[in-house]
Amino acid sequence: MVRCKTFNRQKTMIFFIAVLFMMMFLVGRLVYLMVFCSEYYGKKAEDLHERERDIKAARGKIIDATGVVLAANKTVCTISVIHNQIEDPEAVIAALTKELEISEEKVRARVEKVSSIERIKSNVDKETGERIRAYGLSGVKVDEDYKRYYPYDALASKVLGFTGGDNQGIIGLEVKYDEYLQGTNGKILTLTDARGVEIENAGESRLDPVDGNNLHISLDYNIQMYAQQAAEKALEQKQADSVSIIVMNPSNGELLSMVNVPEFNLNEPFTLNYEPLGPVSDEEKQNLLNGMWRNGCINDTYEPGSTFKIITTTAALEEGVVSTSDQFFCPGYIMVEDRRIHCHKRTGHGAEDFVHGIMNSCNPVFIDVGLRVGPERFYDYFSSLGLLKKTGIDLPGEAATIMHSKEKIGLVELATMSFGQSFQITPIQLVTTVSSIINGGTRVTPHFGVSIQDAEGNVIKRFSYDQTENIVSGETSETVRSLLKQVVSEGGGKKAKIAGYSIGGKTATSQTLPRSANKYISSFLGFAPAEDPQALVLVIINNPQGIYYGGTIAAPVAREIFENILPYLNIPYDEQEAKEAETELAE
Amino acid sequence: MSRSPKNRKNGERQIKYFDYTLLFIIIFLVGFGLVMLYSTSSYNSQLKFDDSAFYFKKQLSISLLGFFCMFVIARIDYHIWLKFSGLVFLGAAVLCTSVIFAGTNLNGSTRWLKIGPVTFQPSEAAKIAVILFLATVINRIPKKMGDFFTVVKVMVIVLPIVGIVAYSNLSTAIIILGIAICLIFVSSPKYLQFIIMAGVVVAVGAIFILLESYRAERLKIWLNPEAYEKGYQTLQGLYAIGSGGLFGKGLGESMQKLGFLPEAQNDMIFSIICEELGLFGAICVILLFLLLIWRFLVIANNAPDLFGALIAVGIMAHIAIQVILNIAVVTNSIPNTGVTLPFISYGGTSVVILLAEMGLALSVSRGIKLEKV
Repeated sequence: MVRCKTFNRQKTMIFFIAVLFMMMFLVGRLVYLMVFCSEYYGKKAEDLHERERDIKAARGKIIDATGVVLAANKTVCTISVIHNQIEDPEAVIAALTKELEISEEKVRARVEKVSSIERIKSNVDKETGERIRAYGLSGVKVDEDYKRYYPYDALASKVLGFTGGDNQGIIGLEVKYDEYLQGTNGKILTLTDARGVEIENAGESRLDPVDGNNLHISLDYNIQMYAQQAAEKALEQKQADSVSIIVMNPSNGELLSMVNVPEFNLNEPFTLNYEPLGPVSDEEKQNLLNGMWRNGCINDTYEPGSTFKIITTTAALEEGVVSTSDQFFCPGYIMVEDRRIHCHKRTGHGAEDFVHGIMNSCNPVFIDVGLRVGPERFYDYFSSLGLLKKTGIDLPGEAATIMHSKEKIGLVELATMSFGQSFQITPIQLVTTVSSIINGGTRVTPHFGVSIQDAEGNVIKRFSYDQTENIVSGETSETVRSLLKQVVSEGGGKKAKIAGYSIGGKTATSQTLPRSANKYISSFLGFAPAEDPQALVLVIINNPQGIYYGGTIAAPVAREIFENILPYLNIPYDEQEAKEAETELAE
Repeated sequence: MSRSPKNRKNGERQIKYFDYTLLFIIIFLVGFGLVMLYSTSSYNSQLKFDDSAFYFKKQLSISLLGFFCMFVIARIDYHIWLKFSGLVFLGAAVLCTSVIFAGTNLNGSTRWLKIGPVTFQPSEAAKIAVILFLATVINRIPKKMGDFFTVVKVMVIVLPIVGIVAYSNLSTAIIILGIAICLIFVSSPKYLQFIIMAGVVVAVGAIFILLESYRAERLKIWLNPEAYEKGYQTLQGLYAIGSGGLFGKGLGESMQKLGFLPEAQNDMIFSIICEELGLFGAICVILLFLLLIWRFLVIANNAPDLFGALIAVGIMAHIAIQVILNIAVVTNSIPNTGVTLPFISYGGTSVVILLAEMGLALSVSRGIKLEKV
């Protein structure tokens, strides 16, 4: 037998030490993995083990100025399947196809997909959800959540907007205030094994949803109703394409109403509010829907026509180039450079002062006044009154002003601009600019959003809006108000007159482009009380059939609205004057 | 370590030695292994066999058989293997060859041989056979081991069986080769030739990997397991290890064993130990193995003769290589290769052979003569 040599022992020792070092390296590796990478791998493993089910947060309500809820939530169900728990796939497919009214193909694809949880359909009626639950199919989950619900269907549809399948805002205020309304979805987390079977006794961790906050807006349900009724009546009587009405508080820019008829049903926003002429493809339908959702008051521009004379008047008064007593003569046209521009009254208004010029809405008078201001200064006023910028209204998609560049404004362009043609602005821009002129000269930002409140009514955020003071002088503001009052009391706007109320206003009839189509937009802009305006109404009738003069068809619509809302707003009423007017009529 | 005084009356100053420390470590490891195996396999076992203790029961009975073998072998004087080692080696070679032709396919690879009701893995037996055979060969020519050509000759004797095993099970072949190299290294007085040999092996290995694209792919998976589908097992192992943290989730609380880590009771069992017992538990297991290896060192260095020492070194190399490779794979320190963790991973043949080896080591330890001072 051979004895061990020293070198044998030495080498065994060397081998042992090598093993020791390798093991130390492995321990080091373990420390690295289990201490420094622990969080990373632990999180990944957790993601793998946890199945997540969302608990939808209730979306915040939209509440009007008087406390009427315009957008609320109702309970609906989300139907999902858990692949590994399905025992009878055919029965599940049959039941879901029948109850959910979706194609068998789609249901089958989702049922047969190997995933931990697969959503089949959300926003299912509560009753349908309960019917599905009654089948008692294993592997089918019915989770309750919320769906947006609009109690007044079409009321202010283009203002409020609606939400999509994930309760996210799609148009209107729902988009603009999405972050406040949305809330945070909660979660139910359950541990599952690799087959997706929930592990007993592992407990669920539950993350409660945080409901969205309520949006309080300045829109007044009653005023909106009055305005909508008036608009619908006008739409039908005049067979117009559309009628838009804006009611605003000119002193602070709060919008009390915004109507665009035809409105659409917010509870079924993907259904056209008319029968399309022929069959439409999906893409065409989407375009038609986009058209239906358009808010004409802010998304579309138009040539304002004679209502813009308010701005020409303001510019001329500010510039000091005209006084109310200035005398003019209207032969029925005026020559600007080599062009002959007609007055709407071809026979001419004859000799008249400026007051009568505006009462008659006489184009030559305003062209003359505009030319006195001059192209450059006129453009400056256009700019300083805020017409070149967007109003900043809290609705998405506001259209910008379409305007000549400063260098291109010649005398002819200036002449047409002075009575509201050859450029385009949005209705909301007109409302805002006129409000700023008649409220004493403070440019306001039109808005709906007033505050964000939680469910208990605690104010979380109160919105404030930009105001620019002294864009016109108080004196000019007062003069304009009195001029516009005379337009209603004795001039072209007298169809808007209501005895006992002091109302100012201006009519307009503008021909749309192309002029050859002979389509018109009749409009009327009025406010009351004329001395201290608290409500400003703009009525725009798009493409009326038959008589299209703003003073004839738009002013009565405004009058109807005023009749309803002025008492509602507690605007001072002069009984004396009303009686006198009655006796005058009686005589 | 305990000494049992014997023949005191005769005035002999020799004390019969038996390594109880080693015995205790073995029993502890096997016991711990069974607990971990039950914890790890119960979910898969329940699913596959409708009996959560199926793997556990099988492993327990085979462990008992292993212990029986161990005690029998420990009682036998290890010098008997001087005579039989050639036979054992030949037998192992035959069995390994027959696997190639008549092997049973389990889990997608042909590594098992079925004789009657018993299935076993001959490549496991090849390990112990190589240890015994090389120890015998080197024991005959201890003085020539310094000679480079003798080293080559000895290597050549082993290479056929390495080749045969490599055909069906590359990892085991690497382990056998490793054991052989260790034995030759320890028995040779030289250093330089081994350093050169190591250099050659590394170079050849590198070329080997670069030439074969599928090995290169393995390398890529190793470097970035998250980017490859085949890195799934490695990645799941890392998830298990990482989610263990310092003290683990507690025994039986592993999530990864619930089907996420496929066949967790086999090669990847260490990652479940990490997940359930944490860094603390993992280091304890490593220390336990180190202790075991240290006992082999003690036995090797105190063995009465070179043959005993070489047997102890061979066993030491076997355990050390397998533990290091396994943990290195599990922690993604080296590319994935299927090596089981001794005493803990599920596998009947492995446990019986390991315990038989432990019997050998104990038998060698019995030959240690302590002289009382």
